[in-house]
Amino acid sequence: MNRTLDQKLHPETLVRIIGVAFFAYLFFGFMLLPCLNTLTSIFNTKNAAGERDPFAVIRFFLAGNMGKYVWNSLKLAVLLVITVNVIGVSIVLLTEYFDIKGAKILRVGYMTTMIYSGVALVTGYMFLYASDGILTTALKNAFPGVNPTWFSGFNAVLFTMTFACTSNHMLFLRNAIRGIDYNTVEAARNMGAKPFKVLWKVVFPTLIPTMFSLTVMTFITGLCAMSAPTLLGYDSINPEIVRLAGSSSADEAFPQARAALLSIILAMFTIVLLTVLSSYERKGHYLSVSKTKAKLQKQKITNPVWNILAHIYAYVLFIIYMTPVVMIIIFSFQTYSAIRLKKLDLTHWTLINYFGQEDYEYLTSRGKYKTRVGSISGVFSNDATLGGIRLSFILSALAAALACVIVVVACNYIFKKRNKKSGVVLEYALLFPWLLPTILICYSYRTYFNSDSVWYVGNQNLYYAQNVRILIVMAYTVTKLPFSLRMIKASFYSIDEELEDAARNLGAGGLRTFLKVKLPIILPSVLAVFALNFNALFTEYDMSATFASTYGTSYAMVIQAMCAEEGLYGYNVNASGRRCASTVFIMVVSGIILYLVYGVGARDLGERLEARDRRRKRREKIAAFFGKSEKNVA
Amino acid sequence: MIKLNDIVVKFGDFTALHNINVHVKEGEFFTFLGPSGCGKTTTLRTITGFIEPVSGTVVVKDRDITHVPIEDRNIGIVFQSYALFPTMTVYDNIAFGLKIKKLKKNEIDQKVREIAKKVDLSDEQLMKAVSQLSGGQQQRVAIARALVTEPAIICMDEPLSNLDAKLRVQLRNELKQMQKDFGITTIYVTHDQEEALTLSDRIAVFNKGYIEQIGTPNEVYNFSKTEFVCNFIGDINRLSESVVQKMIDAGAALKSTDHNYIRLERMHVNVDPLPGQLALDGTVTSREYYGLYIKYYIDLGSQTVKVIEKNDGVRIYEVGQQVKVVIDPRDIMAYPPEVEAEAKS
Repeated sequence: MNRTLDQKLHPETLVRIIGVAFFAYLFFGFMLLPCLNTLTSIFNTKNAAGERDPFAVIRFFLAGNMGKYVWNSLKLAVLLVITVNVIGVSIVLLTEYFDIKGAKILRVGYMTTMIYSGVALVTGYMFLYASDGILTTALKNAFPGVNPTWFSGFNAVLFTMTFACTSNHMLFLRNAIRGIDYNTVEAARNMGAKPFKVLWKVVFPTLIPTMFSLTVMTFITGLCAMSAPTLLGYDSINPEIVRLAGSSSADEAFPQARAALLSIILAMFTIVLLTVLSSYERKGHYLSVSKTKAKLQKQKITNPVWNILAHIYAYVLFIIYMTPVVMIIIFSFQTYSAIRLKKLDLTHWTLINYFGQEDYEYLTSRGKYKTRVGSISGVFSNDATLGGIRLSFILSALAAALACVIVVVACNYIFKKRNKKSGVVLEYALLFPWLLPTILICYSYRTYFNSDSVWYVGNQNLYYAQNVRILIVMAYTVTKLPFSLRMIKASFYSIDEELEDAARNLGAGGLRTFLKVKLPIILPSVLAVFALNFNALFTEYDMSATFASTYGTSYAMVIQAMCAEEGLYGYNVNASGRRCASTVFIMVVSGIILYLVYGVGARDLGERLEARDRRRKRREKIAAFFGKSEKNVA
Repeated sequence: MIKLNDIVVKFGDFTALHNINVHVKEGEFFTFLGPSGCGKTTTLRTITGFIEPVSGTVVVKDRDITHVPIEDRNIGIVFQSYALFPTMTVYDNIAFGLKIKKLKKNEIDQKVREIAKKVDLSDEQLMKAVSQLSGGQQQRVAIARALVTEPAIICMDEPLSNLDAKLRVQLRNELKQMQKDFGITTIYVTHDQEEALTLSDRIAVFNKGYIEQIGTPNEVYNFSKTEFVCNFIGDINRLSESVVQKMIDAGAALKSTDHNYIRLERMHVNVDPLPGQLALDGTVTSREYYGLYIKYYIDLGSQTVKVIEKNDGVRIYEVGQQVKVVIDPRDIMAYPPEVEAEAKS
């Protein structure tokens, strides 16, 4: 009897029980139950007479215009796959495969979408192309016949998303093309194949697996598009779900059940696509059999006409990518009047869109002048904006850290129990949110936790008042788990098993081995995942829009609000300028994070020590130059 | 010093080690030699405690350590990959075990610098990251780390296999010298028979989870107990029945039913046979030039044998040349076909 009790109270057993309880709570409480509730809510619809009618919403779907949203989303997804692949493949080939003059600068331009995306990018494009946008205004002045509303609806969404969604191509396809063994290209050339034949027959086949993954991911992105359709006005699934979630049955027929149905439809598409993708990935890829890979050398386009056309194409794309960025940066330093007139005023530059406040005097409809105190304000002096930044900063950092901690603990377990069922079960549980569209998870949270009868969260309504922030953190965390798991798990693979043996042989226990040996090895990857998670969440729009409430107004929501409120009754006169400054701020934050992740974070200890030596030598040089001894400088 | 008594290790249904019995003496350089998958690393990991045997005991200095945790065994190990902690400097790698033993800071520092000096690592190298060192230097760090805690035994799992050929030979000599200087009992695992022969005081030759022979390098090489050992160690000719028959006819005490082997360097070309030696006629069919020596392939009619001759610039034979191959029957190692099975039982 005592022995059993001892076994039960053994610290390891206790840790295991706590671990199982935590992951079970996370999985059932914040993944399975809310989503199941959404699924069942479809069949719990009540008709006008107040009777339960399980198929009412489905009949409504088949009879009404709900199908339009699904069709629109599908149309967007299909066309996006074509346009994104064409542009994505083009930019990768132009910068990595063909010998195009100025490829380095071109690459910088094509990669700009990595430092600003989502709502920041869409509002940036609107700043240029909307009916009152800079370029549209300029075009209207030059050619009065131009349709000023050309940039709206489907065309605008497709155009914006085409350029916004090539970041993955620049990351993954670029890596794939750089991984090609150049000897295979040389071998094909040696056997008489022309450059384009080589591209088609030798290079492309090795890129097919990556292309396939990118195609599926792009398709899902198109289906689940949120910020572009919302801001540019296109009736696709996601914006409709958010609209329905905020609607009540007094306004229209069973909005909640309709939202649930749409999100389940979206989930079904996603699940089918991801199943296809993973079964394809399981089939295996074309792996290079080469032991001594030769670095890819740029291919010259020998035909002069094609060469010129390729250069023109490359630079046109460059201009499309760079114009919003350059314009946003420039106009973020312009006065509100220059922005309003859409005319660059080279004589007046200002920091007001970033810092400081000014009053604004305006003429009312009664012919009187009125002053609106502090109506012009910068990103860092406007309370609403600053509040949004602060909230997003805290919630994103919390969620990014939480996701990392959960995944590190889980990975340590998964690797210990690699060949056991419990490890596999835990891994699949954490990958579960990957199968579901973000909107389904958020919508499910919003409806499921909008009640004080959920016992396992202490009967608290998590959608009420400040509690919504907990809900946002949980949604952020859960949606980031699959990505974090995939990345951190990969870094666990890089730990040489002998290191653990060595540490134990030298007398270290399990915890010490983990903290002193394993954790420092995976730490750069964990920090990278944290930074990337934070980067994505900081300007995240889709989830914030679903949870939109007074206490949950994130930075992205603030930016969205800036599009609509400009200058009305003398309020927020410089909203456009502040929007530009906001986007610049986001670019700077993302740029720093990406530099830290891929630049500094990728260095190993040796490289860091070398950098330290170089810094020391530089300091000594400077000290010698000023005639000081090294000690003084130190 | 170390006694392995009837060690049996199983992985599921697969028996990796069958009744292994080894007795390593104090201060000895003892090598486990064998092809990959033969059980030599498994035996080493059983000694260090990473693997627990199904039956049998591991005894070190008369203390049964079969079930003692890894960290309490006081056995140092140098891994095949060196397993140096990449996030720590050379200094911190060496100091790791001492910190766990909770030694004082100045004591740790003294010990680290002492051992570093012994393995020829400079103060500057101590402050570097392990990735900044060459393969040879990394190996020295691994040895220093294993030795600094003053273990009773040091185990080395193919520590030279990651190095290029030239460095391997250089470090082999250094390793032997270090072992002599420290006087520490060393268990060395390798699949490289040359390494085993040059380094070891004694060798245990493993095959399929059994030990085929334990002996000095000379015993293992020249008096191989089993057919497997004689084939695994060095290059060898198996003589055909007709050649053996010729030798029997000439009075050699051999059996044509046995498997008869002779080492390449024990056959000589165009020398006068001494009493009891036998000369066979042959033709040089090809030769391989190694610099130090030349390997000739000589057709004896019923089989082709390999013979090596010192490249002394005097006796060089051309392809197609008729030669005499001289064999001393006493150099022949003979195995009845069933010996292999007997040795294991």
